[in-house]
Amino acid sequence: MRALHTAATGMMAQELSVQVISNNIANMRTTGYKRQRAEFQDLLYEHVSRIGTQTSTQGNILPVGIDLGGGVRTVGTPRIMTQGTLLPTGNEFDVAIRGDGLFKILLPDGTFAYTRDGSFQMDAQGRIVTPKGNVVQPGITIPPNSTSITINAQGQVSAQVAGQTTPQVLGQLTLTRFVNKAGLQPIGDNLFVETPASGPPQDGTPNTDGYGDLQQGNLEQANVEAVTEISDLIAAQRAYEMNAKVITASDQMLSATAQMMR
Amino acid sequence: MENAVLVGLSRQIALHRELEVVANNIANLNTTGFKSDGSVFEEFLMPAARASGFQGPDRRLSYVQDRATWHNLNPGTIQQTGNPLDVAIDGDAFLVVQTARGERYTRNGSLQINAQGELVTTAGDRVLGDNGPIQFQATDHSISINADGTITVREGANTTSDSARGKLRLVRFERVQQLQKDGSSMFAAPNGVAPLAAAANVRVLQGSIEQSNVRGVVEMARMIEVTRTYTQIASLLQQANDQRRSAIEKLAEVPA
Repeated sequence: MRALHTAATGMMAQELSVQVISNNIANMRTTGYKRQRAEFQDLLYEHVSRIGTQTSTQGNILPVGIDLGGGVRTVGTPRIMTQGTLLPTGNEFDVAIRGDGLFKILLPDGTFAYTRDGSFQMDAQGRIVTPKGNVVQPGITIPPNSTSITINAQGQVSAQVAGQTTPQVLGQLTLTRFVNKAGLQPIGDNLFVETPASGPPQDGTPNTDGYGDLQQGNLEQANVEAVTEISDLIAAQRAYEMNAKVITASDQMLSATAQMMR
Repeated sequence: MENAVLVGLSRQIALHRELEVVANNIANLNTTGFKSDGSVFEEFLMPAARASGFQGPDRRLSYVQDRATWHNLNPGTIQQTGNPLDVAIDGDAFLVVQTARGERYTRNGSLQINAQGELVTTAGDRVLGDNGPIQFQATDHSISINADGTITVREGANTTSDSARGKLRLVRFERVQQLQKDGSSMFAAPNGVAPLAAAANVRVLQGSIEQSNVRGVVEMARMIEVTRTYTQIASLLQQANDQRRSAIEKLAEVPA
């Protein structure tokens, strides 16, 4: 009985949906997190009687056919890359991006990763790093004894170095854009890496060409909306239950068949 | 005598098929742009077995057969997602998708941009505009899709004027029931059925998707109906079988 397998695909899909929703809810307070959505499509159809089949030698054709579907499949979990709200923190190393770009981070293995999470720190050598200690590109070193570090909307980092009257420009932060941001691959730690689907990275200066400007002293919150997630969760749970009922119904029909022969 | 069993069997086979249709609808309860299916049954008349020795009028037996499944093309609920590349279609129209097997038509407006900057479905097939695939440039941002399907972007550092990137091709069909489901939320048009341009009052809603139009309650009710009918027919067949057995037992009794 195919209905059993069809309902099973439905249950698997809803299970995956709940998994995606739970990850969204778990990351509700994660800086720079972008929510995901499970996207489904119907499976292949068996065309039991095909539309347009000739039914007589006079050329009569079937106006409608019998198409039996085989269930549902998950086609992807696209990431919704909308802007999150900015939360003022007052911390001078917290930077939020208002726009399209991502920060470029150097990983220990020499490759680059990209992030929207701008909660940076200063390490022992005075470099601007992520909380995990990976250097934000291009590496900017802040000299010792410098105070009031400012990062302006264009990404220019300057600081008041002891013994100088004017602030000293220390470097320029760059942002990176991708044609298809949703195609980036998440590797955890709020980081993404380039994939063939995302397209090659394009580095640029903040606040130009739509790269987005930088907001010092702010953090970008996750773009997860609790209400949406909870209503999606309810929908997924109910759909799961209904698929389970289909399995029960198929089982009842099979058992009725089995009991016909006493 | 055996006809009761065969008539019942024809109904059971039809019910099996109907349950498969219901199961597929319920499995796609949360599939974007999915259109539910219904089943149509018809009476299939057979001349009675004339060779039997029964007296009485020459009755005709009516069997049942499932003649067709039909697409319920009612619109689904529009859900706001806020994603600029999600579109829902308000009105009788389909998006046109270019696949390896030819043009396909869909109501699933959960769109993406691929690495080449083309507008694609989640499965990666190109979505067609009035002049072929819709191509974005690497510096494009702030994508906006108007109610008539026109796609505009802000290009590079330009923050004041929009650049056009094409217009979504929207089509309708004179007889939508002729469309055939092709999986992946897409419909295929059979040979000789050509799409027509959609009516002018069809609107494209950016930042929303159309949910599945499957109504859980209706499908549950159909499913209960199917299982109950199936069980009833099973007991009817059981009775027919008992009747036959007792006939055999009675008739075969050899008088002492």
